[in-house]
This record gives sequence, C-alpha cells and structure tokens, in this order.
Amino acid sequence: MTDAFHIDVPHTDGTLAVIALSGEFDIATASAVRARALELIANGHPDLVADLAGVTFCDSSGLGALVGIWRCAKDVDGSLTLAAIPDRLGRLLSVTGMDTFLPVYPSADAALAARQGNRTTA
Amino acid sequence: MAAVRRYDILDTPPDGAYDRVAALAARLFEVPVATVTIVDEDRIWFKATHGLEGVTEIGRDPGLCASAVLTDDTTVIPDTLLDPVACSNPLVAGPMGVRFYAAAPIITADGYRLGTVNVLDTRPREISEADSATLADLAAVVRDQLELRLSALRVVRAEQERRKVEQDKRQAEEEARQRAERDKAAIAAFASTLQRTLVPPALPAVPGLELACHYKTASPQEVGGDFYDVFPVGGGRWAFFLGDVCGKGAEAASVTSLTRYTLRAAALVDAEPTAALKALNAALLLDAAVGTRFCTAVFGLLDPARDGGFTVTLATGGHPPAYHLSPIEGGGVRVEAVRAKGGMLVGAFAEAAFASRTLHLAPGQGLLLYTDGLTEARTADGRMLADTGLIDFLTQRPAPVSAGCLIDDTVALLDTLPDTERDDVALLALSVPTPDAAPAGITTTAHSAAAPTADTSVGQENQRP
Repeated sequence: MTDAFHIDVPHTDGTLAVIALSGEFDIATASAVRARALELIANGHPDLVADLAGVTFCDSSGLGALVGIWRCAKDVDGSLTLAAIPDRLGRLLSVTGMDTFLPVYPSADAALAARQGNRTTA
Repeated sequence: MAAVRRYDILDTPPDGAYDRVAALAARLFEVPVATVTIVDEDRIWFKATHGLEGVTEIGRDPGLCASAVLTDDTTVIPDTLLDPVACSNPLVAGPMGVRFYAAAPIITADGYRLGTVNVLDTRPREISEADSATLADLAAVVRDQLELRLSALRVVRAEQERRKVEQDKRQAEEEARQRAERDKAAIAAFASTLQRTLVPPALPAVPGLELACHYKTASPQEVGGDFYDVFPVGGGRWAFFLGDVCGKGAEAASVTSLTRYTLRAAALVDAEPTAALKALNAALLLDAAVGTRFCTAVFGLLDPARDGGFTVTLATGGHPPAYHLSPIEGGGVRVEAVRAKGGMLVGAFAEAAFASRTLHLAPGQGLLLYTDGLTEARTADGRMLADTGLIDFLTQRPAPVSAGCLIDDTVALLDTLPDTERDDVALLALSVPTPDAAPAGITTTAHSAAAPTADTSVGQENQRP
C-alpha cells in the first residue's frame, strides 16, 4: 500500500535528525525518502538516523536509497545510522556487505544513545 | 403555455383517441358538433373535431373556448345570444350560428389548463349537472391520454438520449483504445529494441558446457535492470556474469549497459573475477551520477579441467549466492551455496572489497545464478520463496544436472507462483554434460534461436568434439 507510506522527522538536535519511515520502502517511495533526507542534509542535519520500525517492506530500491543517502551524508562529513530495520533489509545489508559501513541499532533510542555516548567520549 | 409546449401536442396529426372522445361527446349530448381543443398563445387549435370539417384552428376570441379554458369548472352557456360576452363570438355571430355551448377544461395533474372538450349546438338547450360532470370526465380522459402520450414521449426521448450518450461514449472509448494501442505498440517496440542492446542476443557455444538462460522484465515497457553475459577471454577460458542494477526503468537500463561493457572490457585486461568487479566498482563511482548507480553481481571465470569439467572462480559483489548442484551417489542432488566472504555492493563504496572462491564443476554437475526476482517471488501463501524454498526445489530435482532442464524447471516453478510480475528475473545455468549423456558428434543444440525479448528462455548445449 504505497499510499500508506509516511516520512516523518520526529526529532532534530544540532547536526542530527531522525527520519522515520513507515509503509513500503520500495521503487515507488525510495526517491521521496532520498529527496527528504538530502533536504535534511542540506539544512544542516548531515547526521541522520533512519528509523525503519514502521517499514513493512523494503527491497533493493530501498537499499539503493539508503546507499545514496549514506554517500551524500559522508560527502559533508555526516553519517547514516539505521534503527529497527526489517529482517529482510538486514539480510540485504549482510549479503551486500553494507553492514560494514552502516551501523545498525535495534531502535532509534538505542541509536541516539549510542551517538550520545560517542559524543561524550569524543 | 409552457405546459402546452411540454405535452408537445400542438399541430400533431389527428389521433384516433381524441377523435373518439369528440365523437363520444357529440353522441352523449346529441349535439351536431363536439371538439377537443388546445389553447395556444394566439389561437385555439382543434386536436379533434366531430361535425366540424375543415376547421383546424380559430382565434382566441372571448366568450367560448378562450373563456372556458380560464376556469377550473365546466362552462355551460344554454343560449349564447343571452350571454353578454359569447354573443359577439364569431362562432355565434358568424355563419355557424352557435346557440348552445358547454366546455370542460383539460387540467393536468399539476393544475395547468391546456384546452377544453367542447360540445356545441345551433339550438339553445339546458344540460343537467350529471351531463356537465360527464363532460368533465371526458376532459379527464383527454388529460389521461395526453399524460400517457407524454410519458411515452419521455421514455422514447430518454432512450434516444441514452443511446446517443452510449454511442458517443463507445466511440470515445474506441478512439482512446486505438490511440493507446498505437502508443503501446510504439513503446513496446522501442523497449524491445532497447532491450536487445542490453541483453546478449544468444549465449555463445562453449565447448564442453551446456548453457541456458532465462530473462524476463517486470513488463514489456519496463527495460530491465537484470543482466548476464558469457564470453571468451582467451586461452580457452570463458567468463560469465549475472547481476541486478538497483532500481528500474531507463536509469537502471543505462547502468545495466555501462556494467555489461565495463565487465567485458575489464575481463579482457584481467580476467581475475575480483579484479573485474573492482574495475566495475571504480567505473560506477567515476560516473557523474555517483551514489545513485550501483549493482550486485556475480562474476565467474571458467578454466577447462582435465576431467572434462571446469575450474570455476566465482567472485561476488553483494549478490545472493550461486548454487552448485552435484549429484550424490545413490541418487539426489547436493546443493551448495557458493559464498565468497566479504563481497560488497558494486558502485556504492570506494572502499568496497570483493572476494572469490574456486570450485570444481565436474561432469554431471551444474551451477545456477539468479537475480532476486526468483528468491523474492511470493508463493501462494504470500511468503517469499527465499533461499530455503529455492534450495528445497533444487535438492528435489533429478541428477545428472542439465542447464537446459534446470532453467526449464525453474521457469515452470516461477510460473506456478501467483505474483511474479513485480520484479525482473534473470537466470543463468551452466552444466557439464556427462560423457554418456550425449552421443558423440553433436556439437550444438539451440533450445531456441529467438532473441530474448520480454519473456524468453534461450539455451544452448554444446559437446566438445
């Protein structure tokens, strides 16, 4: 159900922004996600946490959007952290070797806490 | 007047029903003349006459019909010469010399007076209340007749209107359909031409190897993001690859093209599979649209071995594992996923690493490469076929393994799945025939000579002479 797809930005803090997706993350919605994420990066939030807790389906187009976002974030010394990814995306990340580049956390809160920890120690 | 127009009765030809009413009135009242009139703006039109030949209309002179139509009640003038208004009416003062006049107005259900039913005599006379009620009844009969006629007219007009609307609609639909057909044919022709440039027209004849493939795009209009190829790299060696560009449509197709030519060119410089994938990774990262173009791929190198089989070096770039199928002694097939640890998505990371594995493809054994259109196809219960479903299917197939049969069976499996329209699918199978499987002398058998289009399986079997 493409029409049920939502992109929200529930939290921003300095360079950080949480982008929460829900619904089917596929060919039909990937470009909208990419556009929104690039907009956040351009607006001074290059450190993105993608909260995928509400994603019901994610195929290689979704994966492609994440890679694109990661590259754009990296170009401005930002980062992309994934939270609450669906099983299938986990398998895709593993098979494509992307899990070595993209940190994955069980929830957006855990991702934020981990970032907080990094910042304090840094 | 609008009511008169609505009933659309003025100047219509004589009609048996109204004539009968006029005749009935004349007989009932024993008068020489009876009429049914409709009162128009400037005239009184005779819908039916009895005893008054050749008159179709008269002026709206006051006194008789023109006055009678203005009241809801029956008008009775026992002696017109004694009536101050009627006495000067042309019908009274003129040659007809009407002395008696009675009329009942024709009143519609919604209260409009359309005309009158009249009885006339040349002698003065009285009529009873019962008679004037009869005249009113006759007017009501005329009214009912007009209503019936009107509703019939309405039905006919509505039907005509409906037919016209339907005909217009059918014509518009037909025109739209023809236009769509023309557009569709043009697009399909374009896509299939484009596809032929993206997909190898046929697999080459590789000595000692049976090859078969299947390629299907999600729709004929959709140029696929799946690709494969088999080609010689010199020294009796052959290279093959199969992959999937992330995304669909024209953008994916351009990456597909770039990928195929890059891999072919890279293999000519260095046929080592990880080197080919590294070259592709670099080429995709150099592209202007960097970060949006990447793919997963399996790249293999075939080196003929002494036993009639091949040494296969297989590198993977983020692609699902190929399956190595080997017959087990005593029946059955062993299915082994060929994974090379650490192979990453191609074209996404400058730091990407690729790894390869070497295996021996012995006579009777086969290798199946596929894109995720196969493993992500949904089964009837809505779940993905997945690795487990594919492995189960491959394990149950008979030995020895033949590439042609393997592709045929896998396509048959896809055909049993309800929803395989969603994604592109590419399959490539390689098998080494056993010495006893094919009689000596056969060198090439093409399963099909057709160029791959939207949905085609192509296979070739070759035996070393």
